[in-house]
Amino acid sequence: MKYSKTDRYPVCKSSELVDDTMMKVSIDMVDILVGRRNGKLFACDNSCPHKGASLSKGCFNGDRVVCYMHGYEYNVFTGKLENMKSWKKEDTWVEQDMEWRKSGDLILYSVSEEDGTVYVALK
Amino acid sequence: MTKGEVPNVVGLEVLKKNGVNVEKLKELITKGVGAEFTTYYYYTILRMHCTGLEGEGIKEIVEDARIEDRNHFEAMVPRLYELGGNLPKDIRKFADQAGCPDAYLPDNWEDINSILKVLLEAEQCAIRSWGEVCDMTAGKDHRTYDIAQKIMQEEIEHEAWFIELISKRPSGHFRRKFVGQSPHTGSQGGLIHL
Ligand code: FES
Ligand SMILES: [Fe+2]
Ligand SMILES: [Fe+2]
Repeated sequence: MKYSKTDRYPVCKSSELVDDTMMKVSIDMVDILVGRRNGKLFACDNSCPHKGASLSKGCFNGDRVVCYMHGYEYNVFTGKLENMKSWKKEDTWVEQDMEWRKSGDLILYSVSEEDGTVYVALK
Repeated sequence: MTKGEVPNVVGLEVLKKNGVNVEKLKELITKGVGAEFTTYYYYTILRMHCTGLEGEGIKEIVEDARIEDRNHFEAMVPRLYELGGNLPKDIRKFADQAGCPDAYLPDNWEDINSILKVLLEAEQCAIRSWGEVCDMTAGKDHRTYDIAQKIMQEEIEHEAWFIELISKRPSGHFRRKFVGQSPHTGSQGGLIHL
């Protein structure tokens, strides 16, 4: 199947995406995190912009998804990195180099819902 | 066929047919082997600071984990090249893109527990990192999965060692037959050297 960036694709039933849940779906080998938080739908690339972990293994904190790998938090609606968690578990630990710590923002996809189906477009 | 031109690689073709995102897989492997290499480096420093009565008591275990992490690098790098990937030309870039933080020596290293906590954190990150590769390849890319799951087995053992040292929970572990034995990835490490 050929996918186009502008077309939208059905990814799940609305009933599968209850409030405050998220799940991984795939379109053309691109893993997408689709979810509903406080009644609002969101869709983004499932790969964490920091080091590529699966965001679907994370959890919510407010409007943010918390990556399970190093704990960075990204706003699922704006895509912005809002909490670059420190590696330091104790005061005596040395902080990581900034080059290692830095991260881009989430890649957001457009998401919609119609007649009981959730659609995502890769744009 | 002219020099440098790569013929159809059936080993890659089957992965694509199985739905493996090869580009993403290469990225995760590069990050995983980056973490193994930096961990090997930082564990060397940590091990040098395992001195005194308590430090000497854990030195050999740190050394096992250190050499086995190097073995993990050697076990997976050949697979990266088979997949059409490569190591970054510049080691600085390689370290910056690594999937796990640098296991820096803590300021209060005289307290052996502080070293153990850093070691534990590093092993736990490695488990998450190779878990990503296992999840992505299970049932689809048998060769990468085989290597990644062997690495995972040793990472889980490393985590257990450090948890047992910190918490004193009962342990099934005795010791390796020789330093850095790598009971699971040992045969893969031989791909680079014997
Ligand atoms: S990979 Fe997600 S926070 Fe580092
Ligand atoms: Fe390792
Ligand atoms: Fe390890």
